[in-house]
Amino acid sequence: MTLEHIFGLTVSGLTVGMIYALIALGYTMVYGVLQLINFAHGEVFTIGGYLATSTLIWIGVDATTPLSLKIAYFGLALLLSIVFTALLGFLIERVAYRPLRQRSRIIALLSAIGVSIFLQNGIVIVFGPRPIIMPTAVVPTGFIEVFGARIRVLQIAIILVSLVLMAALTWIVKGTRMGKAMRATSQDREAAEMMGIETNLTISFTFVIGSALAAIGGFLVAMYYGSLQFNTGFLYGLKAFTAAVLGGIGNIPGAVVGSLVLGLAENWGVGLTLGILAWLFVAGLVLGLYFQFVRAPQSRIDHIAEEFRTPAYERAVRDVYRFAPVVAVKTLLAERTDALLYVSAQHAVRLTAANVILAGLAVLFFINGDAQFASKWQHVISFAVLMAILMFRPSGILGENIQEKV
Amino acid sequence: MANPFSRVSNALGTLPRWVYVGLALAFAIVFPMLEYFGLMETLWLRLGTRTLVYVLLAVGLNLVLGETGLLHLGYVAFFAVGAYSTAILSSPRFDLQWNFWAILLVATGMAMLFGFVVGVPSLRLRGDYLAIVTLAFGEIMRMTLNNWEVLTNGPGGIPGIYPPNIFGWVVDQPVEFYYLLLVFVVIIVALVSNLKNSRIGRAWNALREDEIAAHHSGVRPTQAKMLAVIMSSGIAGLAGAIFAYYQQFINPTYFLFMQSVIVVCMVVLGGMGSIPGAILGAVALDATPEIIRQTFTTWLPRAVGSDFLPGVQAALQTEFDRYRMLIFGLVIVLMVIFRPEGLLPNKLWRREVREEDPRELEHTRQHLFDFEEGKQDLEV
Repeated sequence: MTLEHIFGLTVSGLTVGMIYALIALGYTMVYGVLQLINFAHGEVFTIGGYLATSTLIWIGVDATTPLSLKIAYFGLALLLSIVFTALLGFLIERVAYRPLRQRSRIIALLSAIGVSIFLQNGIVIVFGPRPIIMPTAVVPTGFIEVFGARIRVLQIAIILVSLVLMAALTWIVKGTRMGKAMRATSQDREAAEMMGIETNLTISFTFVIGSALAAIGGFLVAMYYGSLQFNTGFLYGLKAFTAAVLGGIGNIPGAVVGSLVLGLAENWGVGLTLGILAWLFVAGLVLGLYFQFVRAPQSRIDHIAEEFRTPAYERAVRDVYRFAPVVAVKTLLAERTDALLYVSAQHAVRLTAANVILAGLAVLFFINGDAQFASKWQHVISFAVLMAILMFRPSGILGENIQEKV
Repeated sequence: MANPFSRVSNALGTLPRWVYVGLALAFAIVFPMLEYFGLMETLWLRLGTRTLVYVLLAVGLNLVLGETGLLHLGYVAFFAVGAYSTAILSSPRFDLQWNFWAILLVATGMAMLFGFVVGVPSLRLRGDYLAIVTLAFGEIMRMTLNNWEVLTNGPGGIPGIYPPNIFGWVVDQPVEFYYLLLVFVVIIVALVSNLKNSRIGRAWNALREDEIAAHHSGVRPTQAKMLAVIMSSGIAGLAGAIFAYYQQFINPTYFLFMQSVIVVCMVVLGGMGSIPGAILGAVALDATPEIIRQTFTTWLPRAVGSDFLPGVQAALQTEFDRYRMLIFGLVIVLMVIFRPEGLLPNKLWRREVREEDPRELEHTRQHLFDFEEGKQDLEV
């Protein structure tokens, strides 16, 4: 396993991560303002990619087209797809989500799923079930060599474009009046309304921005992989949502961080041998053990109120963590339990489970050190990441940022 | 209630319940005999059998989605667990031929185990995360079935599943499968409706209506939800086992995400939390498309002449499936917006919808007051 191999995997991980980020931003912004998983977002992404690609096919770009004209066509295709998907996002919110705003989340989510199915089959009916192929003439083919690894110009372009878009989004959210309205709406919609913010307009705007970003993401995917299929958006949407949860739902920088982590995890996961991955698990295990035996008991002990702080009580808390399976289960099953001990016991059981799983995986991976995951397990890895993150840290890496309604 | 739907359902609601149950059961029992007397093609018997599988699934999912209010999007994964358990334990693939009852037990148990495994991390979370975790689990399951070729033979599937032998009765005719399924449907429905009116059923409903209030009234949310998820997984596993026996061949394409969505759609259409609703939803969504297709491609051409609307016929033959899913998506959205209680709402829900909410009255009064005061643009 050479350095350039790892470097190459890292760059492709970052590229895929950036594309995930463009989609995940839409999920996380919508979740921020509405507490709704916009399930149809993946389909909006596909439709964006389809529209841009079919525009380019329709114009008929080929290898003889001069570069300046190519760029102009490019802009046209992108503009068309952005306008259309923005409109689509606006319509989806208006038709399928707005009437349900006062109802429970599950009902709104059901509606979102209905929209998603509708759009997916709409794509099949309009464009046919076969994948749409990006004209190869459009895609930049050059590459440069860094540390002996071949980096495609397209990869650099995707990363740069995404960075520019994220900077623009940051400016919109932090620096404009509309962005302020968005932040206010996501903090407390009713209060924002009372302050004179047009929350309906703001929510529509959020959908428009998210859809436009997804459309660009769809176009980039079509260029990167050369084709799109009607159900591409389902998988990408799911992964982008995973990334948004990983980073902390509702948290805009979190979506980007989560996406990059997920992209890297996927590429490293299938690109590296199990022996190298095992070291990652070892690192995770060290962190887990540090949490279980040092950090977590200390932070629990810090929570004890002064008047109850006795050495015996502190030792009891430490014991729950130190001898986790036995003492913690005993604490959980006891007839009457101290609240702090009970919470600590639950935490300790979860930490122990995590450490045991990590240790087991590390051993398993070391034993098969030379083997590699086949790339067909790539998606399974990212879904496993999702389940793991929800199990141990549902608020994500950077913490979630949403208004909890009771 | 000005709604014509509810007027009809109220009028129908005056007949005692056993009349409907009896009629439905009588129809279900008589249905295959139509084929025996040559009144119907075997196609319909096959459709009926498939519908009964869907009825089992819809009734099982209703426990989670309808009674407990948890959106479960990976339901077909448990169906797959049941089906693959059966296929592995009773086919030439590993040269095994277990007893029917043992396999039923294993399939149900395995599905329950998986339900538990999925439930542990996800049931503590916010409701909408459960939807995503179950969805992800469904996809992991499908990909694993596709990729773990040593066990499942990958996309090739497992052929040649032996017919079940129930105390000497070898079930291998469609009619026999139909009645076998019917027996299980009756048992499961009886079980689930008793459960619904029990202490745990009421706990589920309380959780659906208001989790915090339920928790403070002594319901343990995680345990109760876990029970719902495990039981519904078990029902899916059972349905999967019989489905595998019936199909004699399974591969991962039977267990796509769309199947989960179709079952969700059935429960929503029939009425969440209503067992007759779930059954009606399954029958309506599984049988109606086939009836429409047959009407236009076989019956009407036979009656009117073969040149009847050839365009429609061609479209129905080739692109029908896509339009079917398109319409399913539309059905979910429209039902959720315009008739969230479903076609056959359960009594509790109907009462809730009809009941005059005192807060609602207060709201109206306040609104009128503001109107008189000239502040009509203020939403209270």
